[in-house]
Amino acid sequence: MHTRTITATLTALALSAVMATHAGEEIVVDGSTTVGPIAKAFAEYLMSQHPSLRISVSESGSGNGAKSLINGACQVATMSRPMKPQETLAAQVKGINPVAHIIAMDGLPIIVHPSNPLKGLTIEQARDIYFGRINNWQFLGGPNARIVRISRDTNSGTYECFMEMVMNKTRLANNVEYVGSNGAVRQRVMNTPAAIGYAGLGFVDATVKAVPVNGVMPTAATVLDNSYPLSRPLFMYTNGEPATGTFLHAFLTLCQTPKGKELIQAVGFVPLVEGGQQ
Amino acid sequence: MTPGTRFIERLFTAACYGALAVMVAALLLLLVPIFVKGMGALVFHGTVEYRRMRHELFDRGDGAQLAREQAQMQRAAQPMYAMLAEFEAALPTNPPAVRATQAAALRDLQQRLRVLLGPLPGEPQPALPRSQYGQTRWDRAQVKLHEVLYAEVWDYSNPDTMGQKMEVPRQEQFAGTALAPLFPFLQQHTRAILQPRLTCYWRFFTDASRDAHFFGGIKPELVGTLYLTLGAVLLAVPFGVLSAIYLVEFARDGLLVRVLRMCMNTLAGVPSIVFGLFGLACFINTMHVSPSKSVLAGSLTLALLILPTIIRAAEEALRAVPMTYREAAISLGATPWYAVISTVVPAALPGILTGVVISMGRAAGETAPIIFTAAVSVGQTLRIWDVLTQPTPVLSWNIYNVATEHEAVDEIRHVQFGMVLALVALVLLLNGAAIILRARMARALKG
Repeated sequence: MHTRTITATLTALALSAVMATHAGEEIVVDGSTTVGPIAKAFAEYLMSQHPSLRISVSESGSGNGAKSLINGACQVATMSRPMKPQETLAAQVKGINPVAHIIAMDGLPIIVHPSNPLKGLTIEQARDIYFGRINNWQFLGGPNARIVRISRDTNSGTYECFMEMVMNKTRLANNVEYVGSNGAVRQRVMNTPAAIGYAGLGFVDATVKAVPVNGVMPTAATVLDNSYPLSRPLFMYTNGEPATGTFLHAFLTLCQTPKGKELIQAVGFVPLVEGGQQ
Repeated sequence: MTPGTRFIERLFTAACYGALAVMVAALLLLLVPIFVKGMGALVFHGTVEYRRMRHELFDRGDGAQLAREQAQMQRAAQPMYAMLAEFEAALPTNPPAVRATQAAALRDLQQRLRVLLGPLPGEPQPALPRSQYGQTRWDRAQVKLHEVLYAEVWDYSNPDTMGQKMEVPRQEQFAGTALAPLFPFLQQHTRAILQPRLTCYWRFFTDASRDAHFFGGIKPELVGTLYLTLGAVLLAVPFGVLSAIYLVEFARDGLLVRVLRMCMNTLAGVPSIVFGLFGLACFINTMHVSPSKSVLAGSLTLALLILPTIIRAAEEALRAVPMTYREAAISLGATPWYAVISTVVPAALPGILTGVVISMGRAAGETAPIIFTAAVSVGQTLRIWDVLTQPTPVLSWNIYNVATEHEAVDEIRHVQFGMVLALVALVLLLNGAAIILRARMARALKG
């Protein structure tokens, strides 16, 4: 009786090992929380078109996405910043050839609580706030309230973009509050009247207020013509070019199709226009 | 007994009852909202949009009945759409300055109506399911209705404080136009349009999610949690029990054993995120047990996490077996090894099982060890052979994901609460099953 159970278990295990090698159509996506909504929408759409396809999406941050691709633990790394030279190098050492695909544009809005009377910021003012030189909203024409600075954590591509485009790669003030995702930035700002934060365009809704930067509001139009100063591309990285005809190829090129563009718009980001993005 | 000691004794008794009362209150404070809010994912007032979604995405419900309801929705909303069309037709006749603001106000209103009722008549089907349907739940529909009726305006006139929120009836934006009557009409007829009905969605536990948890249920998360928990227990119990047997029955109390015990105690105190990072570095990046994150890697990590608990519980249980059992077995001619297997371990089994139960609950609820080794925010229900290679959504991690990272946290609170209910229920169920098993075993041993 017992030997029979054990034999059955072993057979089942062997069988599952065999079947595991045959299960083909699986795509593992890991990386940015900013690109997460796009990746999830693409996955939902492609899986509804092809029931045999199985896509899983993790949102653990751009840095983790890059590491995951370098270690061969995912097929697609979603990133809200380009790969750093040392990451590319680390990948090549491990025999991985990271190829960048720009899938959409993002505006990186600077957000405050809707009750904040702030009418706009210059890049310099934003830098002064996050550097710790401006500590109170009254220096920016607001009421007397201590500024609560919210930032993404250092694993985030959004953080790296902010450091580059706003902070000129200087450092952030010591009392900046780091949170783990774009959604968390929005919720923190939504619940804190004196807060300031930054998040991907798709995470900004009526519960927070995006302010004009250098006089320009972040919208699809200002992001596309680059007049919004904090515009940035969003990436998906793969190991080598995906072969035409594969689901992986379909996943990465979906952003160029009308359906893909509609999906990108539906989750609040800016689809690429024909003729490419400079 | 002096009056003084009696007083202290009474005080002590009172303190005990007080502590008990506080504990019960805390438990109720925790469990009642979990249950009540969690039930909101299962029992709610579903609108006609819910029934359309259920029919189209899950192929359920009576198609003919749905068609009748949709026709009624169409009829009930028709005057409103007529007002919209009339307003839109009149737009070009207005002076240019008014036209621009009115066009913007109309676009805004249309977008809000789409959110409430689904795509407007004649519009093409959107690609993303969440934009294909209006509000599927009556409670959310009322929130969205309020947003249609009232515009949120912030008054920044007082420079000494933050702005104050004011709600301005949207009707004022359209005063004197064809759209002015739309707002009272909508307020009166929303119920007739959306036709909310009490809905029991028991399949919440057995449906996969659609469109990143906007619709459907939590089957992939539930199954993933079960796989991970059972996997961790299956991996940890043999090693844990064997180690405990060695430590209690065979090891001589020397330096080595003392160091081993100390290491184990330290292991029990290591923060779970450290296990998570270790699992990532060891099982995935170095040993490559699977091509990506996987249930296997997650189970291995969780097994390490619960190993100390299992060893400690098993050790205590083995020690509690009276020496006479061993002596009796050996006096009957059993070898020490056979005495342990035939007599001591069965007698200790209920105690060992308690340790397993406790660690099972812990493994099911842990988040940090699986972030980097097993959990994803969106994925399919794994088939049993996928556990060796595929990552999975997991209740504990997805509760965190849906509560913080998700792009539409406020829209899908009910899913979050439903997941919490499912996780708590699952742990209770696992514990309950193990307690019953344990009781049976104890009875069998006595008899």
